[in-house]
Amino acid sequence: MTGPGTQGPGDEFRLPDVGEGLDQAEIVEWLVAEGDTVDRDQPLVEILTDKSQTQLPSPKAGVIKRLGFVEGDMAEVGQVLVQFQGVDFDADPASVPVTAQIQTTGGTEQALERRPKASPAVRRRALDAGIDLASLNGTGPGGRITVDDLDRALTVPADAPQVAASTKIPVAQIPPPRPAANLTLGQMAPGRHQLRGIRRVTAESMTRAIAIPHIHGADEFDASALLSGRKRIKDLHPEGAARLTPLAFFVMAVADGLRRYPMINASIDTALDTALDTAGLDTEGPDTEGPDQKAAGHIDVHEAVNIGIAVATDAGLVVPVIRDADRRSLFDLAEEIHRLTTAARERTISTADMQGGTCTITNYGSLGGRFATPMIRPPEASIVGFGSIRVRPIVVDGAVAARPTLPISIAVDHRLIDGDLMTAFQEHIIGLLTDPVALLAR
Amino acid sequence: MPDRAAEANALLSPLDASPPASITDQHRQWMLAQMIASRIYSQRVFNLQRQGRAGTNAPVDGSEALLAGVSLALDPTKDWILPQYRELVGLERFGPDVLDRYVLYALGHPDGGHIPEPTRVFPPQISLATQVPHAVGLAWGMQHQPDETGCVLVFLGDGSSSEGDFYEACNFAGVLDAPVIVVVVNNGWAISTPVASQTRAKNFAEKSHAFGIPGVTVDGTDSVAVFEATAEARSRAVAGAGPTLIEAVTYRLGPHTTADDPTRYVPADEIEAARERDGIVTLRDQLVAEGLWSDDIEIAISTAADARMEAAVQAGEARPVDPDGFFDHVYAELTPRMQRQRQAFWADREGRS
Amino acid sequence: MTDIVADAATDTQVMTMLEAINHTLHAEMEHDQRVIVFGQDVAANGGVFRATEGLQTAFGPARVVDTPLAEAVIAGTSVGLAAAGMIPVPEIQFLGFSYQAFHQIAGQIARLRYRTRSRFGAPITIRSPFGGGVRTPELHSDSLEAQFANIPGLKIVMPASASDAKGLLATAIRDPDPVLFLEPLRGYRMIKDPVPLSEHLVPFGRARTVTSSPDDQVVIVAWSFMVELARRAAEELAAEGIRARVLDLRTLVPLDTNAIVEAVEAIGRVVVVQEAPETNGFASEIIATINDEAFYSLEAPVKRVSGYDAPYPVGSLEDNYVPDVHRIMAAARSTVVAA
Repeated sequence: MTGPGTQGPGDEFRLPDVGEGLDQAEIVEWLVAEGDTVDRDQPLVEILTDKSQTQLPSPKAGVIKRLGFVEGDMAEVGQVLVQFQGVDFDADPASVPVTAQIQTTGGTEQALERRPKASPAVRRRALDAGIDLASLNGTGPGGRITVDDLDRALTVPADAPQVAASTKIPVAQIPPPRPAANLTLGQMAPGRHQLRGIRRVTAESMTRAIAIPHIHGADEFDASALLSGRKRIKDLHPEGAARLTPLAFFVMAVADGLRRYPMINASIDTALDTALDTAGLDTEGPDTEGPDQKAAGHIDVHEAVNIGIAVATDAGLVVPVIRDADRRSLFDLAEEIHRLTTAARERTISTADMQGGTCTITNYGSLGGRFATPMIRPPEASIVGFGSIRVRPIVVDGAVAARPTLPISIAVDHRLIDGDLMTAFQEHIIGLLTDPVALLAR
Repeated sequence: MPDRAAEANALLSPLDASPPASITDQHRQWMLAQMIASRIYSQRVFNLQRQGRAGTNAPVDGSEALLAGVSLALDPTKDWILPQYRELVGLERFGPDVLDRYVLYALGHPDGGHIPEPTRVFPPQISLATQVPHAVGLAWGMQHQPDETGCVLVFLGDGSSSEGDFYEACNFAGVLDAPVIVVVVNNGWAISTPVASQTRAKNFAEKSHAFGIPGVTVDGTDSVAVFEATAEARSRAVAGAGPTLIEAVTYRLGPHTTADDPTRYVPADEIEAARERDGIVTLRDQLVAEGLWSDDIEIAISTAADARMEAAVQAGEARPVDPDGFFDHVYAELTPRMQRQRQAFWADREGRS
Repeated sequence: MTDIVADAATDTQVMTMLEAINHTLHAEMEHDQRVIVFGQDVAANGGVFRATEGLQTAFGPARVVDTPLAEAVIAGTSVGLAAAGMIPVPEIQFLGFSYQAFHQIAGQIARLRYRTRSRFGAPITIRSPFGGGVRTPELHSDSLEAQFANIPGLKIVMPASASDAKGLLATAIRDPDPVLFLEPLRGYRMIKDPVPLSEHLVPFGRARTVTSSPDDQVVIVAWSFMVELARRAAEELAAEGIRARVLDLRTLVPLDTNAIVEAVEAIGRVVVVQEAPETNGFASEIIATINDEAFYSLEAPVKRVSGYDAPYPVGSLEDNYVPDVHRIMAAARSTVVAA
C-alpha cells in the first residue's frame, strides 16, 4: 500500500478508491500502451465509476510493462492496473485485498439444560478449587449455588468421583461436621428458618413419596439365634467381625430377598398421573374412554441390588448406599456399613456413595421403637424397617417365653407390588434372620 | 541570458513580512507566480488521490488570485489565517511548512494537522464555518495582548455562510470590535448547490448589515483588487476599528473535491465562460501585454513549483507513522484508562502475524 | 482512595457550593491574568445564579464579558482565545443548552489538541449548571454528562461538596485540557460545608469516600447532587442495620477506577445512582468497568437507580422522576438481600 509512512509508489499501480467507498470501476479507455514511456502524473486510463468518469494519472515516471485489463473490463479496487518495468508481473488475482471473512463459530445450539447459577464470587472460588458447579445442588433462590453449598462441596476429597445427579435419584445434602455424640436431632431455635439443606431435600423427597400408594406389612420374630450367631462369629473372628452389627445381617437378608423377588428391586413410572388429573376419569373399566395412552408407563427392574441405609445425623437423615449388597460377604458388608456411616456423620461422604439405591433399610430400632410406617424413597418401590431388639414375650414350643425379638416394618409401592408379594418378601427376610445359618449358607 | 531559475525562486519566495504599502509590477509578477504555483500544488495533490496515495481533497481552482492578494496584504509575523480547506496551497508566504503540512494532511498523516510554531496558520477545517468563531476568539484574545498588533483573517465558502456559526461569530465580532477579517469566498457553488439556492440576499457582503460591520464585495479573480480590499480591512482592524466582511467573488473552476463530478450539474457554457475569467489567465494576459511575463518565466516557475511539490510528497510519504499514534495528543497526558487501552492495542498487535 | 487535600490549610469557612464557586473564580482570576470569564449575563448581572458575582467589578470588563445569546460562539471563541494564549472560562447558562454549542464542544474544543498534535492546547473550562429539584422550565434540568463522556478529549468534573467545588474548579482552570465543570442546581444553596480559604486543589481521577465502616455491606456510587441523596440514604439504612458506603466519583472523566474496584473487592454489592435517564447513562460505564475489573468480587448484580427514559418532565411530575432517598434505599436493600 502507498501513503504516508511508505516509500513512495512501487512498480504496481493498483486501482484506488477514487470516490470515498467505491469498490470497482470500468476501464473505459487506455491512454497509453504497453511499452510506452510515461511521465509522472501523465494520464494513463479513463475509468468510469458510479460517481463519475475520471482519468487516473501515473504515480511515477517509467516504462509500462503490462496493462492489467482491457477496455470494457470491470476492475476492483486494489487490482493491478499497470505494471511498470521492474518486477515480474504478478498474475495472481489474490493480490486483491479481500476483507477477511469473519468466521462465525457456527451457532452452536446450546443444549436446553440450564447452566448452574452462581454469583461471580462463588464461580471464582469454584474455578480456583476445580469444582464443577454443575455437579452441585444449589440451595439458594432459584437453585442458585451459594457460598455454603460451595463450602460443603469443598470438603469432599479431591479424588471423589463427581457423578452428575440423575434426575430420578435425589442427592441428599451433607450436614456440617459434628461429633456424633452431640446429636441434637436437628433442633432449631424458635423463629422462622429458611428451608434448606437436608431438611429441604427430605421434605421434597417425602412430598413426592406421598404420591406412592403405600401398603405396609409388619411382624416380629425371635432374634436369639441371630444374636448368638453374631456373638459366635465375633468370637471366632475378632478382627474380621470387629464392626459386625446386626445391621449387616439385615442388609444381607434384605439383599437376598430382593434377589429372590426382583419385582421389589424395581421402580415404576406410571406416566398416567397428569392425564388422569385433566381427564378426571376412573382408570378402571374397559368401557372408559381413557385419556390418550400414548405416554405409557414403564417398570424398571434393576440389575444391581444397591441398598441404602438410613443414617441419622444432626441435620437430618442421610442415606448412603451399599452397592451390590447381594454380592458382599458379611464382613464386607460390616466394613462398608461402618465406612458409609462414619462418612455420613462426618460430612465426608461422596456423591457417588449416595446414589443408585434400589431399596432402603431403616434401622430405626437403633434409637428405639417397635413398629413404624417408613416412607418409601422415590423412585424406589420398597423400604424395610427394623425396630429395636428387646426381650419381649413370644411363644416358643407352645409356651410363652421371654426372648429378644426383632420387629420388622415393611412398606411397598402398591402400584408395582401387591400384598402377596410383599408378605412373601417379608417372610423370606424373617426366615433368614431367624436362622442365620440359613442366611450365611444361602 | 536571464537566470530564470533564480528569478522563479525569487518570485516564489515569501517576500518581506511587512505588507507593501501599494502594489508594484514586481508584486503583480509575484502574485501571478504564486497563483500558478498554487494551482500546480493543488493539481499534484489531486493526482495523488487518483493514485490512491492521498485522501479526499479540494482543488484550489478559481481561488488562486484571491489567495495571492490576501496573503500579500497580511503580515505573516503578526497576522493569523484560519483557512477552510481549499486555501493552504496558496499561503506559502506564511511559512514553508504550510504546504509541507498540507501535503501530510492530504496523505492522511496525523502530523498534517500540526503546523509548527511560529507559523500563524490553522490547519484545514472540515466542520464548516466553525472556524469563524475560532477566528473571532483569536482576535478577541489578541486584544488582550499588547504585543499582538496584528489581525485575524478567516476564509469560508458561500455555502458555509449559511451556518449558524457564521452569524453568531460575525455578530459577536462586531460587539467586540474584534480585529478580524471575514472572507466569504463566493465561488458560485456549495458542491452542487448554486448560490441562488443558498440565500435570497443580493450578495454575501450585505449580510454585514445584520452585524453592524462594513461589508465589501471584491472581484476574487483580481488579485490586486483583493490585495487592496484586504489591506484596507487590515488597517481598520489593527487600528481598533473592528471587523470587516469581504465577499470575494470568483468561480469554482474544478470539482468541489476529488469525490465530486461537476459535469453532472454545472452548465457547460457557464464553466467555459468562467475559464475565460480565470484569474491566472487574465493576469498573465496583462503581464504578457506589459512585457512583464514570458513563457520562459512560466516554465521556470512551473518547474520550480513542481520540484517543490515533489520534495514535499517524497518527504511526506517517507515520514513514519506510529501505529498507535491516535493515542497521543488526546489529552496533555494519557489517562490511566487510555494507557490500558494502549497496552491492549499492542497486545492485540502482537497476536497478529 | 480517600479524599486528598492538596494543601495543609487550617483556615476554612463554611460556604454554600455557589459561594465556593464564586470564591474560586475570584481566586483563580487573581492567580492568573490570562483567565477570562464570559457568557450570558455573567458580568453586570453576576450570573443568573450569582456564580460570577463581583468578578467584573474586581477584574474589569475586558476579563469578564457579557456575550450575545449565542452558545456556539461562547464555546467556539474559546478555541481562538486558547490559541491566543488566554485561559477561557466560559459559562453555558444551563447544560441543556449546550446542545446549541455541542458541535463546537465535541468537534472542536475536544479535538483541538488532537487535531493540531498539541500545537494548540485547549485549557478551557466550560462551567454549566444542571439538575432537577428546582422546578425549572424544559431543558434547564437535563443531565447530559453521559453524552459528553463518550467524547474523547474532554474531562468531566462534577463536584458534590462546596469544598470540592473549589478544589475541582481550581484544578480545572489550571488544567491544560478542556473541562466540563457541571454544577448541580439543587446543590448551589443546599450543599454547605467548610471550604479551605487558601489554595486548594483536588486532583482529577480521585474519588472521595463519603461514609464508610469496616463491615460495609453495600457501596453506593454517585456523583453531583446524588451524593447527598446517597449520604441520606446511607444514614437511614444504618438505622435498619444495613451499612452502606458512599463513594463520590467527583470526576467521570478521568474515572477513578481503582477506588471503584477496591470498594467492590471489599464489599461485593453495588448501587449506582444517576439523575440522568437510565439508558446509556454513565452508570452503564461504571457497571461495565466493574465487569472488566472486579467481576469475580460481585456477590449480586449491580443495581442502577436513575431517571426514567423520558425527557426531564414538567414541574408537577419532577419529584416522581428523579431518584430519591427511597429508591436508593430500596436498591441497596435488594442488593444486600440477594444471596
